[in-house]
Amino acid sequence: MRRFILVVLSTLGAGLATAVVRADAPAGPQGDTWASIAKLPDWGGIWEVTFGGRRGTPPEPPSFTPKYAAKLKAYQDAQHSGAIEDTPAANCVPPGMPNMMTQPYPIEFLFTPGKITIIAEAYSQWRQIFTDGRSHPDDPDLTFNGHSIGHWDGDTLVVDTIGFTTDTRIGTSYGMEHSDKMHIVERMHLTGPDTLSVETTIDDPEALTKPWTRMATYGRHRDWTLAEYVCQQNNRNGLNQEGQATIDLER
Amino acid sequence: MIRRNISFGLVFLTATFGLAGTAAAHHSIAPFDMQSPKTIEGDIVEFQWTNPHTWTWINVKSPDGTVTKWGIEGMSPNFLGRRGWTKHTLSPGDHVKIVIAPLKNGEPGGTFLRVTLADGKEMVMFGAPGA
Repeated sequence: MRRFILVVLSTLGAGLATAVVRADAPAGPQGDTWASIAKLPDWGGIWEVTFGGRRGTPPEPPSFTPKYAAKLKAYQDAQHSGAIEDTPAANCVPPGMPNMMTQPYPIEFLFTPGKITIIAEAYSQWRQIFTDGRSHPDDPDLTFNGHSIGHWDGDTLVVDTIGFTTDTRIGTSYGMEHSDKMHIVERMHLTGPDTLSVETTIDDPEALTKPWTRMATYGRHRDWTLAEYVCQQNNRNGLNQEGQATIDLER
Repeated sequence: MIRRNISFGLVFLTATFGLAGTAAAHHSIAPFDMQSPKTIEGDIVEFQWTNPHTWTWINVKSPDGTVTKWGIEGMSPNFLGRRGWTKHTLSPGDHVKIVIAPLKNGEPGGTFLRVTLADGKEMVMFGAPGA
């Protein structure tokens, strides 16, 4: 009898534990195995931000805290006076997140068990999004593209990214700075046979008074391949230490 | 037609470099006078099919007979390669007309807007892929 009760209790316990795990774990295929990947939406091919998306109605601007609004104002003033003519990108520093995703060069998604890799042609960059159920590190190194974990919510890939160096910008202006507490959630899903939509929501308790959301639309080009992009190859149009754009017609 | 293409180019440049937070290239258009497009005509010396920009070197003869080599920055091979251009679109010796936004500092250079090739065909630097 005592043994029976123990069995019942442990079964109940196991059931509860299972229920708890199930409540946390996303339902449906998560791409943890090749067989699971075969059940995911087909994101093959090469994707480029559409001209319509880029030239469409600009999003509502981010709502900055006073400290970060002042940084933006100071940058814009320097731009208007001509004191700053360009950004470090002119010297081939890559944009990092979130702007890495909206360059006028294409991206490609690679699905492998437990991980999605995004290759961005511009500056030959890549991101890795872990879909194996791991958490973010407690104390991540701060990087341009951050630390990304993701899961599938039906046909939508939800990506959560933290751990950013403050060298990147929120968007639309190099004066739009963020703190190392920036947090980005992207929801990516197919909106047509060859159309991918990415909704990017950025929050930052130091820089923003409320989360900022922007949309990007990508078109699929199945016949393209990614091309090499070595920015240092022939860069004659850089930025000097005084913040002025330069042109090298000599070498 | 030229004006229309130039204004498209300007809209494109503005949209990509300035407003939308994306960059057609990796830098601003600060060194170039986008308001004063200029046509130069001459013989191609070299077409550098390189990142982050193509560079077209062209010898331009002035009315007094002196020849000046101009350097014209253009969109990248990655961008142009998906819009009908190849590394052979401009070859040494080709006689072409190029519409540029010239450098503000007066040096013989600028940014590439469009070209009329030796055979009369026109190629633009901007536009949707596959165009």
